[in-house]
Amino acid sequence: MLQIILDGEATSEQKEHFLKNHLEECMPCYKNYHLEVAIRQLLKTKCCKDAPQELVDDIKTKVINNLAS
Amino acid sequence: MELEENSPKQNYTEAEKQTIFHGEFMPHINSMYNFAYRLTLDADDAKDLLQDTYLKAYRFIESFQKGTNAKAWLFRILKNSFINDYRKKSKEPSKVDYQEVESYYNSEEVDRQITPDLRVEALKDMIGDEISNALNALDVDFRTVIILCDLEGFKYEEMAKILDIPIGTVRSRLHRARNLLKEKLSEYAKQMGYKTA
Repeated sequence: MLQIILDGEATSEQKEHFLKNHLEECMPCYKNYHLEVAIRQLLKTKCCKDAPQELVDDIKTKVINNLAS
Repeated sequence: MELEENSPKQNYTEAEKQTIFHGEFMPHINSMYNFAYRLTLDADDAKDLLQDTYLKAYRFIESFQKGTNAKAWLFRILKNSFINDYRKKSKEPSKVDYQEVESYYNSEEVDRQITPDLRVEALKDMIGDEISNALNALDVDFRTVIILCDLEGFKYEEMAKILDIPIGTVRSRLHRARNLLKEKLSEYAKQMGYKTA
């Protein structure tokens, strides 16, 4: 249940019940929920690289000049 | 090359192709580079893979229906290119028995989290490369599902199409991948001197 909520795959009722009711009653789930949220935040901030601009320009140029075919 | 076999081939003018390419494909280039880098774990291979993928995308642009999910379409091409051209053909059999993983995680009993001892405070102090290293330490198929889901926000169904696997497998693989990631982070936390929860 936790996974589908965090992945955005739960219905809004499931989400509401879980976040508002269940988390208040269930300590393991509460801990888990916050842990999973923290991990996702860490992933998003630390694991994203941008493409080197040179490469991007190179690709654009090749396509504009129709060298891809 | 297998793309969407059931979608009709489009007929675009050169101008339309350029519009689609620059308007619908190029915006995803950073995400795609990131994925390429996490797959190959090598900056030069990542650049080659990225370029190959985008050029392929242009060559086969008539297999793409404009206005549909370009990101998923592109990721699928990249993943297939990686498997065909870049993935090192390992002589060892895969260390992970995916069949076993699946049946375990599809059973009713396992909705309980198998949480190793890891605390939020420890995570907040991981300001270096710990998470990046932990991610890279995972087997490539596990790394992939975490990237697609947690970094790129794909839904299970999109992931199933990108990876050519059933949705059930997407979910069980994600579950297992996340637990492995947590175990790795737990190790780092211990090294950093945190008491376990």
